[in-house]
Amino acid sequence: MNPRPEQQNETASTAALLRVSSDKIGRLMDLVGELSLSVAETINTPELAGLDLEAFDAAAHRLTMIVREVQDAATELRLVPVAEVFRRLKRMVRELERETGKEILLDLRGEDTAIDKLVADRLYDPLLHVVRNAADHGLEDNASREAIGKPRAGRIILSAAQVGSEVRIQVIDDGRGLNYDRILTKAREKGMFGPQELPERSVLWKAIFEPGFSTAEAVTTLSGRGVGMDVLNTTMKDLRGRITVDSDEGKGTAVALHIPVSLAFLDSLILRLGPQLYCVPIDDIAEIAKPDAAGQVQISVADGAEMLRLRDRFIPVCRLERFFGDETATALNSLSEMVAIVFETSTGPLAIAVDEVLDRQQVVMKPLAGALRHLRASWGFALLATGDIAVVLDCERLANKESAA
Amino acid sequence: MAQPSIDDMTHQLTQHHMQQSEKIETMYLTFPVEAELYGVAIAKVTEIVGLQRIMSVPDVPAYIKGVINLRGKVIPLMDIRLRFGLPEKDYDDRTVVIVLQIADAPIGLIVDGVNEVLDIPDDQIDRPRSYAPGDGGSLVKGLARLDDRVAIILEADLLVDTSEITLPQVENV
Repeated sequence: MNPRPEQQNETASTAALLRVSSDKIGRLMDLVGELSLSVAETINTPELAGLDLEAFDAAAHRLTMIVREVQDAATELRLVPVAEVFRRLKRMVRELERETGKEILLDLRGEDTAIDKLVADRLYDPLLHVVRNAADHGLEDNASREAIGKPRAGRIILSAAQVGSEVRIQVIDDGRGLNYDRILTKAREKGMFGPQELPERSVLWKAIFEPGFSTAEAVTTLSGRGVGMDVLNTTMKDLRGRITVDSDEGKGTAVALHIPVSLAFLDSLILRLGPQLYCVPIDDIAEIAKPDAAGQVQISVADGAEMLRLRDRFIPVCRLERFFGDETATALNSLSEMVAIVFETSTGPLAIAVDEVLDRQQVVMKPLAGALRHLRASWGFALLATGDIAVVLDCERLANKESAA
Repeated sequence: MAQPSIDDMTHQLTQHHMQQSEKIETMYLTFPVEAELYGVAIAKVTEIVGLQRIMSVPDVPAYIKGVINLRGKVIPLMDIRLRFGLPEKDYDDRTVVIVLQIADAPIGLIVDGVNEVLDIPDDQIDRPRSYAPGDGGSLVKGLARLDDRVAIILEADLLVDTSEITLPQVENV
């Protein structure tokens, strides 16, 4: 075995490294969160309103900047490269080669991509599952590959890259790909689609992540029993991540896990709709538009669905009052009196209508718990500098629900 | 009826928590709802706070009035009158929030006021099987015989039981 260069680097710089328990860092993160809230509360205290405090304002500004930097530094403390997870998977692939008798080339890319330690710790199991599926079901055996003119050894690419505030981890194989008809038949058996329904490919592919779903004819010891998908789904939900699949039959399958870099702070835009505050991660927003009367289209035949006409595109508008079934909401304001926030989601563009955009802030995230855990299309709550609380919207789930309705 | 102040109550609570931890199982915080007296196990109560500005949130049952930010914690508030199907009443300066810890998550009960903390031994609590024809009875853990009154002991865990609220599930893929 060759010593791996990464390990050597680590030994060389050991002197500069500290081992700190994650509890201590967690406590620090909590305190930094509270610190930033208290600072913001102090600076925004209503008692100061209307006073001319030049020196105070300058000092307050400096303080805010420092807190912001402390926040960033604290967040970075928890960031680790994904290389460690990848190394463990590499060992697993060797194992898989022996068990399946297939020759597999593993290609690792972007190993130094940084990710929250809490995320990294939980990434191995779901990724292992995806890699196993690729090795077992995705890749053909060596002889069949040669027979159809593919290179003898199957290839699995494991790649990580930061895209905006997300880390995208992909498992790409050059195997047989997903078979639309077979998966559709199976999905219909499971009652996921009606007998006449012809779902889009990207929609159908998601069915393979349903628990108990397996199209493999032979259930091997490796995978194909449809278990493990639970682990994948649960973990992705906990990590505020999502899964996308792309496949070309005969050419291979790419499974991508999209996970936020940090679970603690979120750079976001604060929106107001009636009495409610919403918060949207800044990287999710494609555009903010002020629709004029010509920019709105109402479609009575589709239950009064609204579209926003933006340059040469029609973008469906999601009214949060309706989405959340708020009965107290009276007649909805006309779009032209509102601000439209446009997202690019994996199912296409989507706009939400809000009364106003309040601020851009680095917010502290709190997960949904107890009586609030059923809140739909939300990552959790954001504590704002004013002490207010906003609901963090997950526009992917907002868009999914809309297309399913 | 004189209402003790919040500070008094919190003080009482802490006293009970600290000195009488062996008796905590039989201690109940009582509060009136209309003419009835209710009790909730002190072990579930983390604190009592005055009402502060409530932030409205979407997608919750009507009896969840919103959330408050209590020292950096997001706490949902349940209006106990609405939870019991009683008419809403405007909040006044006696309105307080009883913060409970239920299954790892906090919840605040908005009540018209709180009375004292009582030590009610188990043998003073009747636990008939059901008090109501419907499921409403399951919220009641028992009826406590006090000198001249009755306290209805609540099954706090079931207050936030969401089984009766069926929200459409969203696929999360």
